[in-house]
Amino acid sequence: MENITLGQGSGGRLTEQLIHRITSHFSKSRTPSELEDCSFLKNGIAMTIDSFTVTPREFPGGNIGKLAVCGSTNDLAVRGVKPEFLAMSVVIEEGMDISEFDSYMESAAAICSKLDVKLSTGDTKVVPKGSLDGIFITTCAVGTSLTPFPWGMANIRTGDLVAVTTSIGQHGATIGASRFDLESATLQSDCAALWPAISEITEMKGVRCMRDCTRGGLGTVLCEWAEGTATGIEIDETKIPLTPEVNSVCDILGFDPLYLACEGCAAIVFSPEEKDRVIATMKKHDMCKDIAVIGEIVDSHEKLVGMRTDIGGMRIIDMPVSEMLPRIC
Amino acid sequence: MENFKKEKGVQLLRAIEQVCSKDIKLMEVCGTHTVSIFRHGLRSVIPENIHMLSGPGCPVCVTDQGDIDAALEVASRENTIIATYGDMLRVPGSETSLATMKARGSDIRIITSAHQCIDIAGKNPDREIVFFAVGFETTAPATAALMIDAHERKISNLSAMALHKRTPPVLEALATDPDLEIDGFILPGHVSVILGHEPYSFLAERYKLPSCITGFEAEDILMGIYSLTRQIQRGKPKLSSVYPRAVRKEGNIKAKKLMETAFEVCDAKWRGLGIIPNSGLKLKELFSDLDSYRKFDIRTPDVKPPAGCRCGEVLSGKLIPPECPLFAKKCTPASPVGPCMVSSEGSCSAYFKYSGGGTGHWKI
Repeated sequence: MENITLGQGSGGRLTEQLIHRITSHFSKSRTPSELEDCSFLKNGIAMTIDSFTVTPREFPGGNIGKLAVCGSTNDLAVRGVKPEFLAMSVVIEEGMDISEFDSYMESAAAICSKLDVKLSTGDTKVVPKGSLDGIFITTCAVGTSLTPFPWGMANIRTGDLVAVTTSIGQHGATIGASRFDLESATLQSDCAALWPAISEITEMKGVRCMRDCTRGGLGTVLCEWAEGTATGIEIDETKIPLTPEVNSVCDILGFDPLYLACEGCAAIVFSPEEKDRVIATMKKHDMCKDIAVIGEIVDSHEKLVGMRTDIGGMRIIDMPVSEMLPRIC
Repeated sequence: MENFKKEKGVQLLRAIEQVCSKDIKLMEVCGTHTVSIFRHGLRSVIPENIHMLSGPGCPVCVTDQGDIDAALEVASRENTIIATYGDMLRVPGSETSLATMKARGSDIRIITSAHQCIDIAGKNPDREIVFFAVGFETTAPATAALMIDAHERKISNLSAMALHKRTPPVLEALATDPDLEIDGFILPGHVSVILGHEPYSFLAERYKLPSCITGFEAEDILMGIYSLTRQIQRGKPKLSSVYPRAVRKEGNIKAKKLMETAFEVCDAKWRGLGIIPNSGLKLKELFSDLDSYRKFDIRTPDVKPPAGCRCGEVLSGKLIPPECPLFAKKCTPASPVGPCMVSSEGSCSAYFKYSGGGTGHWKI
């Protein structure tokens, strides 16, 4: 008997296999290159859907309500799509403190209002105590493309630059620290809606594609790009923005920051000519103030991502397989 | 800062090149070293005449299949909670793994420190908590402290399957293996923090083997390699340490005392390496109430590793992972055959992960 394991929900190789398993029932023709953060329906209208479950539900920098709106709207934003409408479904465990529930909805509403996104439809279910862990929120976001051509990995070409919009791994490290009882006064999730920063670069013709580095982190995004486009990617370890707090959580738990989830950080590919404009424009926004070019698309070692290490060595970045577990010593 | 690091790295590499031009084999004993060497891309910069071999220093990898099967059997018992370190979760036993048993409803808790077991025991007074305790001298003191504490507090629903292993006896087994030609050992930094220097002195004294206690940063490892190449070149093997910022000569006396209080030395079976005399730690008689084996009459089955799995030879440095016929074919991190492919510190997993998914088309 085969069973679904937590590893299949981790965002790495096992998740990829699970997605293929699902899509194979629907259409044989779906190729990996179509697997972007959201998909275009017609006339520039795009849609995405995401479910949210997180322990703890309230964490430094946000809560599950804020996360649920940021997550879906970011999946539109990274393809240059302005989020406009939201459908939301909440499944609540019997017994939840109503004021706790209200606080999540308040946070979700605050992000919608900031982005001018309308809650258009929704659904609620309450399930008996013990049948789920508190609350699951599913959001479906719909919006309109504002770019001259659809952003996606198919646009990537050799010589393009790769950047990240902020320090990596902040959300994953924050959640990991609270799950494993590590205390840090300054560690905070990067949970944020990216559209305000991205909306300012939608006209720029040199922008190729973008991904928010959620589950699986920056490392997984880069691997998906390299594999999906049959190009090579080379990044420089010393250029990747990383806070000392995230670094120490990783040291203690044996995590690799490259694979830690982010919730307000995107990887972006653009032409070298567009570099200065993209950086200067996005940097104006607080959530992107640490934006940095970390590498480039190369025409060697196709489908593989390499990282020049701080000591001058070269390391291959591979897609993670399963969930990250704390090491023994 | 980065430039400083790079420059220091370049200087060390130049020094290593100058000191040693002949082919030598160095073994990094610890799994954390193996991963660190890959993560820093050191294999791409170390001179080609220096061959790095991974040793039996990954706690998950050296746990015998029979011990894993015994834990899986306990996990299937009613009213039982298994507490263990995260790395153990996906290790395949003969039939299944703890991860799969968890998915099917067994209560398996991942802990990061042994003392969390006390908390779990307190919150579940009508259930039995079995701590599946693996690891070297790094995790053994924490298990010892837990056992002493549980004994003093008379906690009745907690026990441990203590399978801790000792590093020096396995080093001796490697040093005396006629099929192995190792020129020097990179000794494990974390274990040395506990043990100090003395337990390794036999390597140079009895077997004329160079050894160096080494930390885990890229510069630490390069300094360790440099120290070993110098010893080899001069023909003067000794025990050196390039990790004095963490390792005291006498080690951690308090941790050693804890181990002495709770454990006695025993022979232990290592995966692929067989029984190594005096290489294990079992609970002393005083703690027999806390010994899961006695409490629940756990029998460890004598099982053979899966067909074709050559973890034993990989663990003793006789084979590098890509030389195993199952590597990247039948055995991958997504469907591992042996524990060396599943543990984050396993050498097969490290070779797979850092060689582009075993494709091998980008040689670094």
